[in-house]
Amino acid sequence: MRNKFPNSGNSQLFESTNLSMNRIKLYSIISLFLIIVGSGISYWTSERIGFYTSALMETQDILQRTSELYASILERETNIRGFVISGEEEFLTNYRQSLIDAQMLLDKLKDLTIDNPKQHQNLEVLEDLIKQRVTAFEETISYYHENGSLEGFLNSGRVDNALSGYRTIKQAVTTINDEENRLFVERNRSLLNNINALPFIVGLISLFSISVGFVTLFSIFHYNKVQKIASRRIKNYQEQLQEQLYLLDDSNKELEQFAYVASHDLQEPLRKITAFSDLLVEQYSDTLKGEGALYLNRITVAANRMRRLITDLLEYSRAGRITNEEEKEIDLQNVLEIVLDDLEIAIVEKKAKVEVGTFPKVIGKETEFRQVFQNLISNALKFSDPKKIPEIKINCDEAPNEEIKSIVQLDPELSYYKITVEDNGIGFDEGYSEKIFAIFQRLHGKEAFEGTGIGLSISKKIIEKSNGTIQAKSEPGVGSIFTIYLPVIPS
Amino acid sequence: MFVKKPINILVAEDDDDDKLLIIKAFQKTLPKENVTCVEDGEALLQYLKRSAPFDDLNNYPVPDIILLDLNMPRKDGRTALAEIKSHEDFKKIPVIIFTTSNLKDDIETTYKMGSNSYITKPGTFEGLVKVAKEIENYWSNTVMLPL
Repeated sequence: MRNKFPNSGNSQLFESTNLSMNRIKLYSIISLFLIIVGSGISYWTSERIGFYTSALMETQDILQRTSELYASILERETNIRGFVISGEEEFLTNYRQSLIDAQMLLDKLKDLTIDNPKQHQNLEVLEDLIKQRVTAFEETISYYHENGSLEGFLNSGRVDNALSGYRTIKQAVTTINDEENRLFVERNRSLLNNINALPFIVGLISLFSISVGFVTLFSIFHYNKVQKIASRRIKNYQEQLQEQLYLLDDSNKELEQFAYVASHDLQEPLRKITAFSDLLVEQYSDTLKGEGALYLNRITVAANRMRRLITDLLEYSRAGRITNEEEKEIDLQNVLEIVLDDLEIAIVEKKAKVEVGTFPKVIGKETEFRQVFQNLISNALKFSDPKKIPEIKINCDEAPNEEIKSIVQLDPELSYYKITVEDNGIGFDEGYSEKIFAIFQRLHGKEAFEGTGIGLSISKKIIEKSNGTIQAKSEPGVGSIFTIYLPVIPS
Repeated sequence: MFVKKPINILVAEDDDDDKLLIIKAFQKTLPKENVTCVEDGEALLQYLKRSAPFDDLNNYPVPDIILLDLNMPRKDGRTALAEIKSHEDFKKIPVIIFTTSNLKDDIETTYKMGSNSYITKPGTFEGLVKVAKEIENYWSNTVMLPL
């Protein structure tokens, strides 16, 4: 028969399916990783942008306040000058106010530059300078209040001091401004860098992710294609297998039909051979000369034997066939009792001892189980040792797991009953333990033991139809054990 | 003392050998002319209906019982049985199924159709003679037949 199940193509196909699946997984992981990294970088960049934006605003604030501070210093200078020239107290009030304003601005600026030590120091220098200048002013004011004018107070030394004092303050403010401007430029550049980098980074990550996504998509399409081919092939094999099962079933049925028809039709002419030779003996035995009567007898004996063979063949072909009898729960204990009852005469005649264990209920056909036990027990009686009292032990147990696994005919997933029929008869050579189940196989001459050798074949057929198996073990002169493994059908 | 008239048996059997053996066997207990044979179911019905050539009552006596083979050409035993048992006049005649078949199905259906006995043809002539004697004895001595 043509091999319908090439294996190599299949395994390649399945490998390819697995490979595609792994690739899809890998791409998905890369894709996910890129998206996470991309999101992280984007978030970090926008954080930077936020940071630089607020830093820039702070710088602007500092610059603003610095110029306000400078304005208040100028105002103070102007007010002092006004007071000295006019002696108006209002100038002095304005002067005092500008002092408070300047101090507030200074404090605020020191707060703002707390993260910038250099600028902070610059501010402290400025504060010192302002304090020195204020001390000079206060001296001037006190002198004026005591003397009514600055007559004798102003000399070239004091004027120089005042000029240099103002100049150093201006200088310090410029330093602070320069520093802050430098920071502004720097931060602005960083901000722009980050803003420019953001779309680039996002774009790059997106590009990667999209590429990986496309590759994944492509792999999925490929996987689906391979998968489709694979499932189509599996479907094909299933159909082929189903078809072959049908064919097998058909051929089995045909074979049974053939055996049945053949044996049935063969019986017809045979019956007539027997009947007419009987008639011949009855009416003409007196006139038959020489060995004529003997030959006639031989014809009858041979024909009878052939009839027996055909009957047995018929029975074999019917065994396990679908009949009207329904499968139902049967009590094997009962079945055994009936069989032993049927064999009572032979048991008594042979003076045999029969021991029966405890038997369960199983699902099956009663007539079939009767036939099996009948065959096995009558065999045990038939092949008993004339020198011994025949002992027959019939038992049933759950089959141990290791035993089930060691027998290829059994399904290791199922549990089985182990039924044994043991005798102390003549036994047979272990080498025949398979052969005895073959149809019409006999180990002894027709003269020693009657029968056609069909009983065990029928039993085997019945047990195998019930998804069980039967085995024989024996030792010549010691006895035989027939073991049936029968699936325990879960109720 | 009243001497019983021997019964008339009508045998429907297509096989010539079987016909011969059945006649030989019944001759052990019955006069030759009391056993009549027909070829098949068709002929059996023609016989009962007395259509030619069965209109001669001397050669073709009214049967007391019918021996019916199941497997025959033209009209088989099952069909013939159905027709006999549905006929107002013929259905009173006992029909004995006499066949090689021992199928459970055949036995059951023919009894359901109204057959009166079912006998599987014996393998030996001796057996056949025994059956013939039993049939004769049962139907002429044991039971009462319709008039």
